[in-house]
Amino acid sequence: MSARSALSRRGFLGTSLLFVAGSAVACSSNPQGTAAAKGAKVTLTQWYHQYGEEGTQAAVKRYAEEYTKANPDVAVNVVWGADTSQYETKLNAALLGADAPDIFELGDFRAEMARKGQLEPLDDIYGSAKDGFNQADLDYLTVDGKLYGMKTIDDVMVLYYRKSLLKKAGVTPPTTFAELVDTAKELTTGGVKGLFIGNDGIGDSPYLLAWSQGKDLIDGDKVVYADAAKSIGGLRDLHSDKSVLLGFTTDWYDAGAFTQSAAAMQWCGLWALPTIEKALGDDFGVAPWPAYDKNGRPVARLGGWTQAVNAKSKHKDEAKKYLQWLWIKQTDIQIDWAVKYGFHVPPQTEVAARTPELSKGAAKDAVAIGTKNGVSFPAEWTQAMQAGFIAAAADIAKGAAPEKTLEKAQAKAQSDLDKQMG
Amino acid sequence: MTVTGTRPLDKTRPAPVTATRRRRLTERQSKAFAFVVLTAPMLIGLGVFRYVAIGWSFLLSFSEARRTISLGNWVGFDNYRQLLSDERFRDSLTMIVLFTALIVPVTFAASLGLAVLVNRVKRGRAFFRTAFLLPAAVSYVAAAMIWKMALFSGVPSGLANTLGALFGVDPTPWIQTTSPPLYWIVLVTLRLWLQVGLYMILFIAGLQAIPPHLYEAAALDGAGPWRTFRSVTFPMLRSTSVAILLLMLIAALQAFDEFYAIFSTGASLGSEPVRTPLMHLYGVALQDQDYGVGSAGAFLLTLLIVLVTLLQGRILGFSRAGDKD
Repeated sequence: MSARSALSRRGFLGTSLLFVAGSAVACSSNPQGTAAAKGAKVTLTQWYHQYGEEGTQAAVKRYAEEYTKANPDVAVNVVWGADTSQYETKLNAALLGADAPDIFELGDFRAEMARKGQLEPLDDIYGSAKDGFNQADLDYLTVDGKLYGMKTIDDVMVLYYRKSLLKKAGVTPPTTFAELVDTAKELTTGGVKGLFIGNDGIGDSPYLLAWSQGKDLIDGDKVVYADAAKSIGGLRDLHSDKSVLLGFTTDWYDAGAFTQSAAAMQWCGLWALPTIEKALGDDFGVAPWPAYDKNGRPVARLGGWTQAVNAKSKHKDEAKKYLQWLWIKQTDIQIDWAVKYGFHVPPQTEVAARTPELSKGAAKDAVAIGTKNGVSFPAEWTQAMQAGFIAAAADIAKGAAPEKTLEKAQAKAQSDLDKQMG
Repeated sequence: MTVTGTRPLDKTRPAPVTATRRRRLTERQSKAFAFVVLTAPMLIGLGVFRYVAIGWSFLLSFSEARRTISLGNWVGFDNYRQLLSDERFRDSLTMIVLFTALIVPVTFAASLGLAVLVNRVKRGRAFFRTAFLLPAAVSYVAAAMIWKMALFSGVPSGLANTLGALFGVDPTPWIQTTSPPLYWIVLVTLRLWLQVGLYMILFIAGLQAIPPHLYEAAALDGAGPWRTFRSVTFPMLRSTSVAILLLMLIAALQAFDEFYAIFSTGASLGSEPVRTPLMHLYGVALQDQDYGVGSAGAFLLTLLIVLVTLLQGRILGFSRAGDKD
């Protein structure tokens, strides 16, 4: 073996060590994070999911910088995360590891996280401001008497309808499920379908149907959605008429199908209202999901995003103070966040009342529907329960017997709930 | 470019001290040293990121682990029992076995047929080879998005519906139509498009290793093309075929990407007409945070794959030494 090759081998080794060291350095710095302010003693990591609206990422960074300006000791490293479908999975994985965020968003609040000791109670930072919050939100975030999260925006989901198309077909917005089925059928002509509730033809409709029949998903420590077999069975009619739009390019939470006239009615959120207004002017209205029959009630779904503090964070107090500053005290920021990037409702009633964008036209109607008819998911609801429930509803839409199918899914959900309540 | 003062020639001349020290190491030792240095990072990486993880997951499968990955809350075989009593998981197992039984022969026939055809082309063989292989470089998710949103979307402007309109067929929601189950057209075409090219390349390699004199002999004996394929080509491809079959079986049993990407509705799973075991386990472990049951499922699926592989080995034999003569 020549000395030449021996040396080049050593050179190779050195180079590879340099490479390994280099990539270790590169990986240990957070590529998504923003630069923390110099001189801060504490840096909080705050996770957001990826909002679709333009300007949202810059906005949350701006809020964080304003906090550091007012409190130079604390910097906030905003991490802009995955879209809604992947965000919770990634967050859950991160919460198990060492690099967990101090503050994070939750789409659906999970009481299980509080019971498992993953969330920090926030009662002390709410203080007397608690009374000013939407009561439904407080109920939703309370687990065993303590508040574990802070709503940053409330989302109201409603039925959008095209006034001109309804007028042409000679129909009015439906007030019962039977009317909804008929109206959707009347409105289906040529390239336009009557109703869009999701690409799978299911979307959130099983929840809405159950609630509109006056039934709940969970009552105390019992899963009870099989009581709603009658209304969920209605999915079969909706599907056999071929009046629901299926397989569009964007899903129900995007107004695309409605603004492009692929559907005359669409279930969508208040967030899409500015887009719809821009595309259709005043040729649209909003209504709640109709009552199932005269014994039922009209409903709308209440969603939104909640921020919570990681119970294992090393900087719990700083994190809580920051949340208090941002989502209780900074009402201007709250209004900016709620209506400048799609429409949402600020969770503090007084703030919502003085948000100009929400006090006129269809937005005002939608907010009123949310207040009057809004229902949230139960906090004990999990993704497994959701998957089982939606799968049962999808089977029913294809013709499975409603009672039997729902009871089977309900039994599985009950065993999940029993485990959760421990 | 960086210019250093030392000339390359100077570097190659070892300093005397190094030379004496080097002489103490025998060639054998230095080879062993090089082996250790070069393989250690890979082995350590495999050990830490694969085998420790697999071992941990095995222990988790006997432990109750909701929203945690720490061990200690042992529950014996409860996780396995719970999973096997779950009808949705059992359905997914049945589905994947049927799916494998159908997709593997189809993929096998398609890639072998394509390999034979491309191998017979006299001009532009490289072009065809590349053209058919290219889809293998596309990510499953990206391809699934194209299939879902452009080719088989439910709107009249989707490619399939545009073609259908030429023949007077009404726009069809391909992915959402369950009777008849049109979504299989979407899933199968997508999988074939992505996979056939790669297996075709493997078959071509096998075909080119067949000695031409066998074909000459067959031609002299008056064998037609079909007889030549049956009696020369196919038997000579035995070890290639067995290896490819094995790869296909494993790929089919582990199906996840395109099923998930085609059927996920953005918010969550649930309404998909068929789900693979991995989709179910993704929901259990990663969405619902039940790592115990999720790990149990991973080992059940591994067991299924091992059984199928052993069964295949039993019937067809793993590549036999007899091929060489």
